[in-house]
Amino acid sequence: MKKAVWSGAVATAVLLLGSSTAFAQQTATASIAVTASVNAKAKLTLGLAAITFADADPDVTPLYTSAPVSVSVKARTTVGGNVLLTVLASGDLDSGSATIPVTTLTWAATGTGFAANGANSFTAAQTLGQWSGSGNPTGSHTLSLPNLWSYNTGTYTVTLNYTLTAP
Amino acid sequence: MRGPSLHWAARPAFLMRRRTLTAVLFVLIFCAFSRPVAGQTRNATLNASINGLARLSLSSAAISFPDADPDTVPSIQATQGPITLTAKARTSPNGSITLTVQANDHLRSGVNTIPASHITWVAGGAGFTNGTLSATSAQIVAVWTGSGVRSGTQTFFFKNLWSYATGIYTLTMTYTLSAA
Repeated sequence: MKKAVWSGAVATAVLLLGSSTAFAQQTATASIAVTASVNAKAKLTLGLAAITFADADPDVTPLYTSAPVSVSVKARTTVGGNVLLTVLASGDLDSGSATIPVTTLTWAATGTGFAANGANSFTAAQTLGQWSGSGNPTGSHTLSLPNLWSYNTGTYTVTLNYTLTAP
Repeated sequence: MRGPSLHWAARPAFLMRRRTLTAVLFVLIFCAFSRPVAGQTRNATLNASINGLARLSLSSAAISFPDADPDTVPSIQATQGPITLTAKARTSPNGSITLTVQANDHLRSGVNTIPASHITWVAGGAGFTNGTLSATSAQIVAVWTGSGVRSGTQTFFFKNLWSYATGIYTLTMTYTLSAA
């Protein structure tokens, strides 16, 4: 009888010991290395592809002014990288042999980082906007041209080339 | 000359064989037709130890997000496609099994960082759930009840923004399978 009791006690102890192991929390781990590549990029979007100044009486309209042209700049660059938006004219405003200096074609801009005012040039790119680091700044600018009695008649054209750079 | 007085060893060999065969036959018949005299039972205890256990395997040890134009690909899928996760666990009846993942840090490229939360996943498989990675707390990938082998997939996506500084960003995701 005594032997049976001891056997039972030992069996219970073994069972309890075993169950504590069996139901202890078990964990397993694994890992994954993640890599994301972010390269330099630049994207420029202008709200208009062409601007036209209709003929007008210089006394009534001494200054041609365009509708605002929206500018969207998207750039990915290094931290503090210099994002630069410039504009360079193809030449003076030209109508056959007659010309109007492109330097008289000026702009007024709004938006963070945009140059508030400036004049076009075909000899040197002019800075329209400048930013530091990656981002998506937006703004707009209007172009103005004096309407002078001295101009020869004609249809004058010029192309303005905008360049966005992000190092 | 043959008689009972003869010594056993001196008997002819054919007599020896016959007696032996008779004895063997008797034993066999006895065994074949014997029945227990009374009902008897004996108990044998079989102890099988089945302890808690957890095992996790992943189909890939690395994933990568290629560079892309944020305007055309605002959410970049990992090049490796869906990752298969297999969780094997032994636990108590109705015991909870949980699979979590946590990033060791934000995506980092030198001093530049992108929040780990810009990585999300779409899950497939019973018990698996969609989620967003975190560097501060473990996020639940899957939950089950009771022992078993379960498999599912995670397809990872990276939020692609213009605001990121250029660089190669890395982090490590650590998965933990817990069987309570």
